[in-house]
Formats: sequence, structure tokens, C-alpha cells
Amino acid sequence: MNLASRRMMDRSFTVLGILSILVMAGALLCLLGPIVIRGVNAFVFRATVEHRQMLAEKYGVGDREAVKRELAQAEQHRTKIYRMISAYEASLEDESYAMRREMGGELDELKDRLRDLLGPFPGDPDPILMREQYGETRWDRALVVKDEVIFREEYDYSDPSAMGVLVHVPRADTFEGTSLAPLFPYLENHLSDILRPRWTFYWRFFTTESYDAHFFGGIWPEILGTFYLTVGAILFAVPFGVISAIYLVEYANPKNPLVALIRTCISTLAGVPSIVFGLFGLAFFINELHVSESKSVLAGSLTLAVLILPLVIRAAEEAIRAVPKTYKEAALSLGAGRWRTICTVILPAAMPGVLTGIVISMGRAAGETAPIIFTAAVSAGGVVALGETLSQPTPALPWNIYNICSEHEAVNEIRHVQYGMVFTLVFLVLLLNSTAIWLRARIAKRLRGA
Amino acid sequence: MKIQRLMMPLLLVVLVVALALPTVALGQKGANANRAISIDGSTTVGPIAKAFKDYYERSHPGVNITVSESGSGNGAKSLRNGVCDIAIMSRCMKAGEFKAAGEAGFQPVAHVVALDAIAVIVHPANPISELSMTQLKDIYSGKITNWRQLGGPNMDIVVIGRETNSGTFASFQELVMGGGNVKSDSESVGSNGAARQRVQSTKAAIAYVGLGFVDRKVKALSINGVEASPETVQSGDYPIARPLYMFTNGFPKLGTDLHRFATLHLTEKGQEIVESIGFVPVTRYK
Repeated sequence: MNLASRRMMDRSFTVLGILSILVMAGALLCLLGPIVIRGVNAFVFRATVEHRQMLAEKYGVGDREAVKRELAQAEQHRTKIYRMISAYEASLEDESYAMRREMGGELDELKDRLRDLLGPFPGDPDPILMREQYGETRWDRALVVKDEVIFREEYDYSDPSAMGVLVHVPRADTFEGTSLAPLFPYLENHLSDILRPRWTFYWRFFTTESYDAHFFGGIWPEILGTFYLTVGAILFAVPFGVISAIYLVEYANPKNPLVALIRTCISTLAGVPSIVFGLFGLAFFINELHVSESKSVLAGSLTLAVLILPLVIRAAEEAIRAVPKTYKEAALSLGAGRWRTICTVILPAAMPGVLTGIVISMGRAAGETAPIIFTAAVSAGGVVALGETLSQPTPALPWNIYNICSEHEAVNEIRHVQYGMVFTLVFLVLLLNSTAIWLRARIAKRLRGA
Repeated sequence: MKIQRLMMPLLLVVLVVALALPTVALGQKGANANRAISIDGSTTVGPIAKAFKDYYERSHPGVNITVSESGSGNGAKSLRNGVCDIAIMSRCMKAGEFKAAGEAGFQPVAHVVALDAIAVIVHPANPISELSMTQLKDIYSGKITNWRQLGGPNMDIVVIGRETNSGTFASFQELVMGGGNVKSDSESVGSNGAARQRVQSTKAAIAYVGLGFVDRKVKALSINGVEASPETVQSGDYPIARPLYMFTNGFPKLGTDLHRFATLHLTEKGQEIVESIGFVPVTRYK
């Protein structure tokens, strides 16, 4: 091959490398971008007066008097709507029965949409579900609901050979010429007076429990549950994992077929699908060993520990193997025993590698859903105190993300909570990782310096 | 000395995590591990259980209730294994489940918390608004495969069913299929919410969900000319209706939290909750 073509090859390889890095970066951006933007929207958003009222009434936070004043101001603008509706209701009394029936149905639907937006009407009985006690707490949702007030979604089925086409029919058309007609332009023009949106940093999203199945409030129980499970799994897995690794590297005879078998088993264990671990955890820890009466943080941690054990063992093994032989020889030649050598020389030198393994497995444990479905996670539950972790199940981020997006009865209304949870989980894992990376760098630096 | 220095940051992290966070948790709520109720089972009954939990925890502070939604079949299994206090189910326990529970020393007692219709839903763009029971059965058994055969557009029907673990599946099987098999190439999803979402995003799809899961993004079909609504369920006209259950081990001891919770549906508030979520309360409380 001549020089020119070799250079050609070299250059094209460089280009390929840069390209693939760009593609990777792009993919990461496409993935993380929406997660961050939508996730942040869960706690940085334009909150309406309904939000502040909810906080004051249910969580007892915020300036009650100020909220009351603000509500009174909003009420001034709402009264006009309520008055228009009652005036129209009164005028319906004089209409024919057929007319009353037809328009009554339309009116009821309009009122229901308005209740979604503004909360119960004055004079309504107090609704029992919290989601019906308040209007829209978020401005972005309020705009959606406003459109539902102003337009009725209908489908045009005129073409029998195809699916219907969505048409937005202005409700103003239905009520044209009646006393209700001015309601729609009024609502459109005065929505911000009625709901008084204000940019809010809702940090309580991370520190409060949710009310009414995640309609209101935060995700603290989920965050705490994820923490418990992750830390618990690490606490169980790391001592066992590191000790096994030491044994496999330093003590076990590599020629012994039993040791080879154990190695194979560990590798196999690393490849077992996580749902199998979940079922194993249910069958073994809960139904067989009865570590707890029902699902619990303990059972979930144990299951996750079994899941990450092979990862920890493999990482620790590699790290210990990578310690230069001269270290060991020097220690032994100075008269240190095997155990002392391991404790004072090999383990500290292997620590950065072991930590890397722990970091990776921490991220894995925090994000796993399948192993905790049957052993630890519940879709609705409160904060679990440390003493209760032995017996109580907990909500956890990965499971509740799945639960909210697939099983919740009101998925569309609480999407932001789901995004917020995803963001928090990603952020948590990043935080765990960066802490450990920082730790590793520190230790490595000390080792070099010493 | 050196090893201690190395362990310092590690220990610090463990300490911070293991001590600081739970103390915050402890501060938020007193230790009240005894008054706990764990609920497991149907995704259909889930919204009722979650709303009951919310109401009960607020009116009885200090009670810790957890709800898992893993399917009716799992609820029955959990009750038999003694890992939950209440199994929520959208079908009655099967004879085999009763037997298994009995042999394990448990005595399941049924509480009917609400009535429910299995609503058959399609995308609102679908011009079809009514089916007969036979047509519905034919769709699910694979005899009817195109909406054109029902007077709709020329599109293959995307049949969404539920997993065998689901109580809604069992009820549908019994009430609609009459023992016949659902066609093998139908899609099975894990929950009511997932079935609804699948229909929301697929114009040619059909699925069945509990009444509380019908919202404006999907269209519930009339069956045999009867629309699915609380009124038609209460009057007994809607053909695919079934009760929703909570099972406890034995009748709960009077005066306990478990007793109050398992009979909440008989109180006025309980029935109001059931109705607000979109299911049918067992009596006329108003």
C-alpha cells in the first residue's frame, strides 16, 4: 500500500471517529434535552391562584391572607361568568321542553369543563375528591382546558370510507344569540385575570407527599424509596461482593474446577433478566424466608443486591487483579501476612476500581423496575421511616413512572408529574455517579501522592 | 492510618445517606408501623383503593396504607400468601383460589365495593358507535377482522385484549366470549390505563376497560343499543357489568382500621368517592 492511500485510510478513519462521536452526542442531546426541559417543567411552571390556594389549604404554606386577597380579586372576574350562567339558566326556564332538554345537556357539559378550569361553582356541594376541589393549578394545563371550554371536539363522519376527522366546533356557535354568547370571548380575554398565573419554583415537588394519587403535591416518598432501595442494595451487595472477589483472586486455586464453575455461575447470574430476579425475590425472600410480612424495602433491597452482586464481584475482581504484583511482593517480603497485605496494600490500591463497580451497580439498582414490582414497590404509599423499612413497602421512582404512564386513571392530566419523576431519577443517578467519581478521583490522587 | 484516611470519605457518604435522610423522614411522620394496611390487586379497582386511601389517611391520621396494582390474579395470590391485608379484585375469586387460600389457612371474605361496566372503547374518530354482543364476540374471536364489515371504514381492526392475570379479562371472557377463545393474534396489555392509551393512539383499535377509565379521549360503544353509563349499570340494562371486590382474610375485627376501611364503601362518603371516580356505588345513597 502506498503512502497516499495509507494517509487516506487514516484520515477517513479519523472522520469516521469524529462522526460517530457527533452522532452519540446528538443522541444524548435528543434523549436528555426533552427529559430536562419537560422534567424541569414539573417544578418550574406558571402556577395559578388555584395552586396557591391548594398549598395554603392543604399544606398550610404561603401567606394565607395574601392568597385570600388574590382569590377575592380573581373572584371578581369569575363572578361575571357565574352570573352569565345563572342568567342563562333562568332564561331556559321559559323555553319549550325540547329546547330545555337540548340546551340543558350542552350547558351541563360547558359547566363541567368550566369546573375543570375554575373549581367548583359557588353553591356547589363540596366535592369529595381533591382533584375536583380545585381548578387548574398549572397555566399550561389551564390553556388546554380553556380550549376545551371554548371548543367542542367533534368528529366529522361524513366520509363513510374513512375514519372521522377531528373538528373543533366553537361552543359560541351553539349558544349564539343567547346571554351566554359573551362568555367565550370574555373567558378568552380575561383568563389571566381569572387564574392569575405566576412563575413559580415549586421546590416542594421534591419534599412533599402527593395528595389524591399524584394529582397534587410532590414525589418525596418515591425519592426516599429509591434511596432506601439503592443504599440497601449496596449495603448488602458490597461486603459480600468484595469479599467474594478477594477470595476468588487471592485465595481460590484457579485450577480447581469448582472455582471455575463458580466463576461461570457469576457470569451467568449477570446475564439473567431482571424480572427473574424479581420473581426470585418474591418466592425466596418473601414467600420462603418471610423476611417481612408483605413487600418491603428490605425484601426489595435484598433482591436488588442479588441482582447487582455479579457486577460488584466482577468489578472488584478486575480491580484487585490490576494491582501491580510488586505491591504484594513488597508487602509480603516486609513480613506482612496475607490478610494484612490484602487489608493494607491490595484493597486500598484496588479501591478506585471497586468504587467504579459500585457506581455502575448503584445506577443499575436505582433504575431497575422489574425486581421491585413484586418485592418492594407500591403505586400509592406514604413516606416510610427508617424503622419501617424492615416491614413496609415503598413507592419508588422507576415503578411509579411506569405506573403513572400506563396504569393511572388520569394519565393525560398528570403528565408533568411523570416527566418530573423521570428527570429526578436521571438526576439522582447522575448525582450518585458523580459523587462516586469525585470520590474515586480523590482516592486515586492520594494513592499517587502517597 | 492510611486506610482510615481512605475510608473517611466513603464512610461520610454512607453516614450522610443512612442517617440524614431517614431522620428527615422520621421528622415528617411519627413511627406508626402498626396501623398499616396493604392492598394489592386489580388495576380496575386501583383508583377506588387509592381514593379511599387518600380519604382514610386524612380522616384517620397515623394510618399507613399502601396500594399496589398488579392485577386481580396477583391480588388473590398475595392474600393467600398473607402478604396483603386486602386483595382488590375485578372478578370474584375462582374456586381454585378459594381452595388454595383455605388450604393455606386463610378465609377470603368478599366485600362488593362498587359495580362496574366493562366499557368497549374505540377511537373517537371511529364512526361506529354501537355493536351487538354477537358482533363484539365475533371481533374478539377473529370472525370480524375489518371495520368495513360493521359499516365502518376499510381498516383492519386492531384488537386489544388484556393479560390472563386480569380480572377484567376473566369477566370479559365469561360475559362476552362465553367460554370461546380470544383470537390468538390479539394484543394483550397489562392494565386498563394501557388499554385506553393504546386506543387513544390507534384509530383502528378496540379495547375494553372499566367504566372509571373512560374519558373524553376515547369513545365507549353502546352494546345491544345500551350505552355504558352508571345509570344503565345500576338499572341492570348494560349487558357487560360486574361487581368489584375487596377480599379480606376473614371478616375484619370490628373497630379496627381494616374493618373501617373495608366497609368504607358502605358509608355515604365512600359511595360519593366511588361515584366521583366514575364507578357505580352499591346503593343509592342520595
